[in-house]
Amino acid sequence: MNITNLSTFTTDVLILGSGGAGLFGALHAVQGAPDLKITVAVKGLLGKSGCTRMVQGGYNVALAEGDSLERHFMDTIEGGKWINNQELSWILVKQAQVRIRELENELGCFFDRNPDGSIHQKAFAGQTFDRTVHKGDLTGIEIINRLAEQVWASGINRLEDHRAVALIKTADGSAISGVLMIDMRTGLFLFVKAKAVLVATGGGPTMYKYHTPSGDKSCDGLAMLLHAGLPLRDMEMVQFHPTGLVAGKDTRITGTIIEEGLRGFGGHLLAGDKERFMHNYDDREERATRDIVSRAMFTEMRSGNIGANGGLYITMKHLDNNEVRRLFKGMVERCADCGFDLISGDVEVVPTAHYMMGGVIFNQDCSTDIEGLFAAGEDTGGVHGANRLGGNGVANSTVFGGLAGDTIAKWTPYAGSHKDPDTDSIEAAISACCVPLTKKPGILEDIREKLHETMWEDAGIIRDAESLARSKEAVKTLDLELNEIGVNATNLAYNLTWHDWMNLKNLMLVSHAVIAAAEAREDSRGAHFRADFPETRHIQNSRFTKVTLSGSEIAVDTEAVQFTRVKPGETLLEVDAAE
Amino acid sequence: MREENLIVSVWRGDGEQGEYVDYRVPREESQTVLDVVTYIQRKIDPTLSYRFSCRVGMCGSCAMTVNGKPRWTCRTHVSKVAPDGKLSVGPLRIMNVVKDLSVEMSDFFEKWVRAEGRFHPTKTRYDDFDAIKPADNKRKIASAGIECIGCGICYSGCDVVAWKAEYLGPAALNRAWTLVNDVRDGGQIARLNAIAGDAGCHACHSQQGCVENCPKHLNPTASIAGLKRVTAFAALKGGLK
Repeated sequence: MNITNLSTFTTDVLILGSGGAGLFGALHAVQGAPDLKITVAVKGLLGKSGCTRMVQGGYNVALAEGDSLERHFMDTIEGGKWINNQELSWILVKQAQVRIRELENELGCFFDRNPDGSIHQKAFAGQTFDRTVHKGDLTGIEIINRLAEQVWASGINRLEDHRAVALIKTADGSAISGVLMIDMRTGLFLFVKAKAVLVATGGGPTMYKYHTPSGDKSCDGLAMLLHAGLPLRDMEMVQFHPTGLVAGKDTRITGTIIEEGLRGFGGHLLAGDKERFMHNYDDREERATRDIVSRAMFTEMRSGNIGANGGLYITMKHLDNNEVRRLFKGMVERCADCGFDLISGDVEVVPTAHYMMGGVIFNQDCSTDIEGLFAAGEDTGGVHGANRLGGNGVANSTVFGGLAGDTIAKWTPYAGSHKDPDTDSIEAAISACCVPLTKKPGILEDIREKLHETMWEDAGIIRDAESLARSKEAVKTLDLELNEIGVNATNLAYNLTWHDWMNLKNLMLVSHAVIAAAEAREDSRGAHFRADFPETRHIQNSRFTKVTLSGSEIAVDTEAVQFTRVKPGETLLEVDAAE
Repeated sequence: MREENLIVSVWRGDGEQGEYVDYRVPREESQTVLDVVTYIQRKIDPTLSYRFSCRVGMCGSCAMTVNGKPRWTCRTHVSKVAPDGKLSVGPLRIMNVVKDLSVEMSDFFEKWVRAEGRFHPTKTRYDDFDAIKPADNKRKIASAGIECIGCGICYSGCDVVAWKAEYLGPAALNRAWTLVNDVRDGGQIARLNAIAGDAGCHACHSQQGCVENCPKHLNPTASIAGLKRVTAFAALKGGLK
């Protein structure tokens, strides 16, 4: 393609993504600098593609008497197994107190109350205090609906059904010039020139056979950040949720969450032979932590004791039917719509890839090493360390999205004029997207299924050196095979199959990043379990992994964690208050 | 399970031109309409266009017209809508078609804004939460309508919107009603003016198509009836422009 024909759209600020991070970034940018032209671009419709919307649990924040910033912080660091960037974790817990009130008082969210009208905070796994603010079990919908309607009314430009394909720098590589995009409705490329770009596309480990995030997510942000030359940290840390629905082959709903509260309420997990098994793994049985239950389930599945569609079962049938129906209404309805009986039947479930703790290395003000490029939310790493507490995900996206918007509002008016792009980079990115358009059309399903299978079997819940080496080779081969599969190019308008191809391309690259980081971490901690190194090692000298792309090869390095606020074995809590 | 095929008629084309094309899709036990559409795109005709995201009824991106009714395709089990093995899938009506099954929803969102379907704050992020009892009457009314996900199903099924293009429609008015009952909101007069006009609540004929179609079992007709009462009362008192 001749780039002199390329359409250009100019904006002061371009925000990629419209989950909690993207929408908060946009709102804070417009609040802080109302004269800026701000544009939000999203692969689907604004507010509808993104995982903040899917939050069921709630929002962790220290509000109540007896709780404290220090306690929330220590829970986050202990949960993160000491590899968090402690300054980022501190910002998370501190700003969460501001952001939750902003959501309620300025955006109009209404969170659940106690009968006396005070804010209700519920218990959530891995925390020493009941601090999770929520709106029933649909907290994310309330947050995103309220954010989206403010953004619709704010004069912010929307580029919906627009896919970002490459972050384009200046010719000297020092600063951002804009983002190459595809207008999915027409299939045409578009260069969006911007002084400031916020990457807030979310992670979403959809390279695994079973996964919870939206089906249109494909680690696009992480792939673009790698291509832009930025380092990603903690990529080996992929969180699996123990119970995702299994509905059989060719079902989109497979992998989506069956909520954790069911096990808390007394739900039983059954193997293929319909017998319980968790007592063989942990005294807490079904109520053990996410990582332990996921590993136990994976082990049972490997032994071949599986159900009709290859999973295990969860059942509530021994419990009070009316209570289950009342407490888990949404889940019961969801199962029923899809043909499953959660009240008196056995529902087939598997552990399912849920969240990526890893992401781009970024600064406390959400800037990165590229001038004008900012990042927030699940595209970033360091806040959660080796594992994320339930309820800290939406806090992360909203806290750092808002901070990114604040920074952008202050920075952009002094950024000077728009910078010209490196046209070679644009041409290269366009060529990379167009690879399948000149080849013989084929079917992508085999490749997707093989990638899913490889990542699930060899780079997922339980890994070792051998399985990781195997997965690395397999992904490399699949990537080459993908390059030879063409896409019907007679009409590129809303051509989902072309986008599927690009989705797979990004997933392959980020899979390589996960595998390389997992190989480099020769111990087990948090979400990362190495069968050949089952112990957590060297906690006092903890290091984090750093993955970069150089040429077409992934390189991995490690760096010492700075214990800037508290060292392993110590606590910020006063000792008598700690228990 | 015996080998069985569904006969699926799918709209192919844009808003102006197009036709229903038949596909044969193998019947699976736990299949939703979205799975059927996905199967066609992945395995039969890779040029089929549709929009979806969350796949579990939380985002509303995948709403389409299924056997004549607007539905979330991700949560519509094939066995419930196609007992005879026949399925027709088209784009949502009223909205402009982008291509095949995907539609342009800007008008729908625009009307949400026009109905003042957003919160007008009276406090800031540095103030504490209002103490509001969940049992308070107004809060109960607001909560009853708040779980709308903005999928556009009620709007697409509303005959008044079909006749009268500027009508704000059930979703936007339902949101306005939740805000009318939100004691924290500071934009009440502007909102009542926004929804009292010809394109607002009084255009509703209470045909209840929205109630019938809402996948969340909300009742926009009742919300709109509430708005009619409140605007009539405010007009009597001279509070509206």
